[in-house]
Amino acid sequence: MSSLSAWFGPNQALRDINLLVEPESVTAIIGPSGCGKSTLVRCMNRMHEEIRGARVEGKVLFNGEDIYAPDVDPVEVRRRIGMVFQKPNPFPTMSILDNAVAGLKLLGGSNRAELAERGEQALRAAGLWDEVKDRLNEPGGRLSGGQQQRLCIARALAVEPEVLLMDEPASALDPASTLRIEELVEELKLKYTVVIVTHNMQQAARVADWTLFMLLGEVVEYGPTQKLFTAPSDSRTEDYVTGRFG
Amino acid sequence: MMVELRKRFHEELAALEAEVDEVGMEAAEAVRLAVDGLIRRDRGQLDQVIAGDDRIDEKYMDMERRIFDCLATQTPVASDLRLLSALTHINFHLERVGDQAVNISKIAEATANLPPQDTILVRLQEMADVVVRMLRTAIDAFSRRDLDLAWRLPVMDDPVDDLNRGMYRQVVALAADPAALEWGIQMNVVARALERVGDNAVDIGEQVAFLLTGEFQEFTDASHPDAPPPTT
Repeated sequence: MSSLSAWFGPNQALRDINLLVEPESVTAIIGPSGCGKSTLVRCMNRMHEEIRGARVEGKVLFNGEDIYAPDVDPVEVRRRIGMVFQKPNPFPTMSILDNAVAGLKLLGGSNRAELAERGEQALRAAGLWDEVKDRLNEPGGRLSGGQQQRLCIARALAVEPEVLLMDEPASALDPASTLRIEELVEELKLKYTVVIVTHNMQQAARVADWTLFMLLGEVVEYGPTQKLFTAPSDSRTEDYVTGRFG
Repeated sequence: MMVELRKRFHEELAALEAEVDEVGMEAAEAVRLAVDGLIRRDRGQLDQVIAGDDRIDEKYMDMERRIFDCLATQTPVASDLRLLSALTHINFHLERVGDQAVNISKIAEATANLPPQDTILVRLQEMADVVVRMLRTAIDAFSRRDLDLAWRLPVMDDPVDDLNRGMYRQVVALAADPAALEWGIQMNVVARALERVGDNAVDIGEQVAFLLTGEFQEFTDASHPDAPPPTT
């Protein structure tokens, strides 16, 4: 990511972000409300521009190509760089299996047997298969909150992305479901690059290999998680993680 | 807007640090009084040092509990985490220093009827003067967050090690008189206790360096005595 800036109408939300996300690792983005962490992650798969009046400047390179280049299809970007949101948003009346393969169907998949197989793979990858394998035809809305969120992760994984962006994926979940998601993130990084926005600093400390601290739309510090939480380099990071301001 | 979000936790950290400073000064004073009581054969003063250690032990236990509570309930990070880690170690070293003062006092009482030898007493007094100054310096470096001062501790410790090593020959020289030799052997143990206090002070200095830099490093390494100090 180089010289990335983003705006909501006249208000600048990101200022000249330069950042290299490590592949097949977990990067956490932390910072106070309004610092731009969700905006940053939404710029990584062209979701930001979906908001009326929003715009982006700068480059986001993915496998060497700028995802903001004029000939790039944002839908294809979002397939390769998937996203999971704060609130689980499965299709409530659609069956569990159909939820898992909803993205695949949109991309044109129609072979029933193949969809079932890809659905199973995705549900397994999301750590949900054992809990739902005997009720794949029940509506997704019947699952618990934590299960619904893993169903959404399965849906994102079914289209075989390379990167998974997670915007506060556990903030609406109970502690056990939260830990479940965190364990899942550990497994996902073996195959995917994960970027997770969290306002729970301890969650960042637990799951992330790299942590990025943002303030007022800028990157203050970016480094190994262990370093950021034991001996941060910037006094603003120190003040934030120790709760000396917020 | 800057708002202190963890006021109670940070007040507890400040209180713990103030108590460690206080115990540090008490432990240094206990060593001073123990050696002074040994040299002057002042049983009352030696008894006071032994009784006073209960207070140091109580504070040690109380601080251990409170530090552990902070770790359990406050999920400390960054400088808060380093401070709690340093407090744990410094607290432990000070408790050991208190115990050494008790050991010296007990030896002094047990050897009060044996014939003393002046040059050995002068040597012990010299060692005590240095290690007491080292302890005060270590606590000072901690409360002032002074890295340079912390780094002076291994240098201050060198003469203590030399004095301790020289004790042995002076004690052997007493071999002709069994009572003097018995006293001398016990004084060798006292010298060893003072040498350990010096090491405790150096270790406290290492904790200060860790607190300030976030890097674990040993100021001195007995297995590599000639290694140059790392640059800071």
